[in-house]
Amino acid sequence: MIERMRRRGELVMLLLAGAVVAGAYVVATLGRTASVPADIGPFLVLVLVLFAGAHIAIRKLAPGADGTLLPLAVLLNGVGYVFIARLREDLAAKQAGWIFLGLVAFVVTLAVVRRPRDLERYRYIALFVGVGLVMVPLVPVLGQTINGARIWIRLGPAQFQPGEFAKLFLALFFAAYLVEKRELLALASWPRRRPILPDPKHLGPVLVAWGIAVVVITAERDLGTALLFFALFIVLLWVATGRAGYLLVGAGSFALAAFASWTLFSHVQDRVTNWINPWADPLGGGYQIIQGWYALADGGVAGQGLGLGLSGAPPGCDPAQGACDGRLPEAQNDFIFAVIGEELGLIGSAAVIAAFVLLVGTGLRIAASQEGAFEKLLATGLTTLLGVQTLIILGGVTRLLPLTGVALPFVSYGGTSVVANYVLLALLVRLSDDAHQRRQRKARRVGALAGAG
Amino acid sequence: MDRQIKKLGIALVVCFGLLFAQVNYIQFFGAERLNERPDNTREQTREFARPRGQILAADGSVLAFSVEERSQFRYRRIYPEGALFGPVTGYYSAILGATGVERSYGNELSGTTPELRFGNLSDLFVDRENVGNVHLTLRRDVQQIATELLGDREGSVVALDPRTGAVDAMVSFPSYDPNPLSSNDTEATDIKTVLDADPENPLLFRAYQDIFFPGSTFKVVTASTAVEAGIVTQDSPDYPVQSGFDVDFTDQDLRNFGGSSCGGTLFEILRESCNWSFAQMGVDLGPERMIAGAEAYGFNAEPPVDLPAPATSQFPTEFPDDEGNGPLARASIGQGDVSASPLQMALVTAGIVNGGSVPTPHVMDRVTDEEGEVVSTFAPSEWTRATSAETADVIRRGMVEVAQPGGTAEGLQIPGLEVGGKTGTAQLGTDPPRSHAWILGFAGPPGQPPEVAVAVIVEGQDGASEQTGGRVAAPIARAVMEAVLAARGGQ
Repeated sequence: MIERMRRRGELVMLLLAGAVVAGAYVVATLGRTASVPADIGPFLVLVLVLFAGAHIAIRKLAPGADGTLLPLAVLLNGVGYVFIARLREDLAAKQAGWIFLGLVAFVVTLAVVRRPRDLERYRYIALFVGVGLVMVPLVPVLGQTINGARIWIRLGPAQFQPGEFAKLFLALFFAAYLVEKRELLALASWPRRRPILPDPKHLGPVLVAWGIAVVVITAERDLGTALLFFALFIVLLWVATGRAGYLLVGAGSFALAAFASWTLFSHVQDRVTNWINPWADPLGGGYQIIQGWYALADGGVAGQGLGLGLSGAPPGCDPAQGACDGRLPEAQNDFIFAVIGEELGLIGSAAVIAAFVLLVGTGLRIAASQEGAFEKLLATGLTTLLGVQTLIILGGVTRLLPLTGVALPFVSYGGTSVVANYVLLALLVRLSDDAHQRRQRKARRVGALAGAG
Repeated sequence: MDRQIKKLGIALVVCFGLLFAQVNYIQFFGAERLNERPDNTREQTREFARPRGQILAADGSVLAFSVEERSQFRYRRIYPEGALFGPVTGYYSAILGATGVERSYGNELSGTTPELRFGNLSDLFVDRENVGNVHLTLRRDVQQIATELLGDREGSVVALDPRTGAVDAMVSFPSYDPNPLSSNDTEATDIKTVLDADPENPLLFRAYQDIFFPGSTFKVVTASTAVEAGIVTQDSPDYPVQSGFDVDFTDQDLRNFGGSSCGGTLFEILRESCNWSFAQMGVDLGPERMIAGAEAYGFNAEPPVDLPAPATSQFPTEFPDDEGNGPLARASIGQGDVSASPLQMALVTAGIVNGGSVPTPHVMDRVTDEEGEVVSTFAPSEWTRATSAETADVIRRGMVEVAQPGGTAEGLQIPGLEVGGKTGTAQLGTDPPRSHAWILGFAGPPGQPPEVAVAVIVEGQDGASEQTGGRVAAPIARAVMEAVLAARGGQ
């Protein structure tokens, strides 16, 4: 009964999300070329088929899962696709391919991971895979430096950002390891005279894993991801043990690490300088931040209209007849939120923020509904990844935080990010369904007992 | 653990709340401030992506229109008349900005004035392009004649209606073709670089953006000031015949042209353009009255013409006692530190023949919307009150005398019309002798207020005789006046 309601609700919301995306796509194309392109039909069919496929997979594989996760992801992903297609027509087909792969990965994850608890066993494999993925870009030949960050690998024609997957494996490892040690870690025994923290030896493996990840990522100049891993680690440690001391120590060590990297690395200093006053170097380091602000301000409340903003190629521009560059370099990546705010206004940017708040809220609700400690921590970890990554990049774009480039989950252009986030979503869906099935079984048992009595 | 998860949820919601507050600040509360920052060029860029209305001549000739092109900027301007109206229309380029009418009537052309935007109520709800068409007072045929007669001599022609200040023709040589400058790519910058490097400075519209020694044409201002002050009438004084004016502290007298001797009453000295008499007249008036007289005609003030960056014509504002009477004597005959734009001298003429009232010069006649409905018209007004109607009439009759056979401006004569004028030859140097050839003129049916006033300057002519202005500039002025009056008659 509940299952059917959830799936029906999911289908209705999916149809709404699909309609929004399809409408936005048509409007964006109209804004650019003033005519509906001939290939609009196949695109819509493809999108609807893909999303319908994911919906059917949930019906078959996780019928009791929460019904809001997939529609929210589809909405964000679809809107992101519309903007990527509007900003860089040449990347639209690629991104469509990645969405297809992401949904395949979503279905495969649901099909393979039938019981979340089974994942707990693979904690050390997860550790090695996670750390390995983080380090792969440092391998010569394989590793690629793009825009100053060495976080890419090239395999044949395709490029991957292995760090996007590493975060899933590290979340898995942290959750499994902390469940095992959480009682020891909750016990304060150090320093001896006035104990506020547990014996450091219990923290060893986590510290090592986390340390390697952070150091390596810092070496790869991927500050955003380093911050993300740091937050993941501290949050899980705190949730697992309930000791607020970890938050304090975490904040203290973060402050130290931040100060150390600020003194050591010039690119960190640049980021901070451009954050404090981007107008000090308006055409250099501050350019992207300033143009992001101008784009948002230009959007105002109602926006300039889809396809009519100045961040991307201007409407009606034909690259064959001259330069068609927009104001915002690489807008389809880190700064896609600024373009959404420019063309859809405060209404659009608030809607994107609201979608992420709902996603995070649903994720944490799923975490709270879990019975097992491992599942609780895993759901918390996955949700934290999603929420904190969103906050890091949106905070950077709006200048709440220094800008550190990470992808906006589901929205930004980027294959690895899309696929990894759909796997993350599948795990949350699986966890949600698992908790539901357990409650159903328990209810049936109680009912059977009551009937027998 | 559930307690921590709940707290985590609260913490994340607070963070998203901060983010939402920041987005509200950027997109709503601080948006206007950000949009108006000087380094934020989005508003200009958007303006360049809109279509623009046409600029039309008084005879209906299209001077500027927009064509769509599939580039970064959706439209580019085409100027069918090229250099003929180039400095008037100006150019309109996303890279170089806008000049001329494109600049001074930019809001009308892009439809962003309130009248065009909210012309009728339904426009509030329909997003229609309400561009305005700007109709100029200039006529293509008059412009053409002035351009042809000026030829490839550096100089300017300004013709206007003395009753309204409506400009009929405004021409300078060298001119420029605004078409390549309005290209939206680097071609525009290249052309601009070349034009900027040109020593003749074709981008400067000298008809109203540059100033020159007015020479003897300035004598009408001196005469008007003296008549207004009551020290000179048509009959007195009778200046004795002399060869020069005795300048303090120097042996070098201020001499008449060609060293000739001259004198007489007002009309006689105007006819002969007698240097020493006008120098004496200015010195008799004294600095205060001469300064006030020149400023009453618009000197030392920027003319309120509806075109960008007009030059301010200059008359000295102090004459130190220790320099003697020389500076004031020279200024009174349009030399020394006096300089005037051709537009200013046309306005001096207009003031004299318009009963002493100098009209506000303007090139815009009316703005129409897409349906051809008139949205606004230029309301003629007085710029400055130069002198009384009685004084103006004396000077006007004096100038009619100058254009009679035997006068220096006799070349202006048009049969059947009442014509007046004043020549000028502003010496630039003596080795070799070179001068600006000037002429002021007006014409109209006899017994009626003149319908056209004109100022012509041909720069840097060889020779320095008083005849130079009449010989070189008068034919241009006469043909232009004939063309304007023919057009007026045809209206």
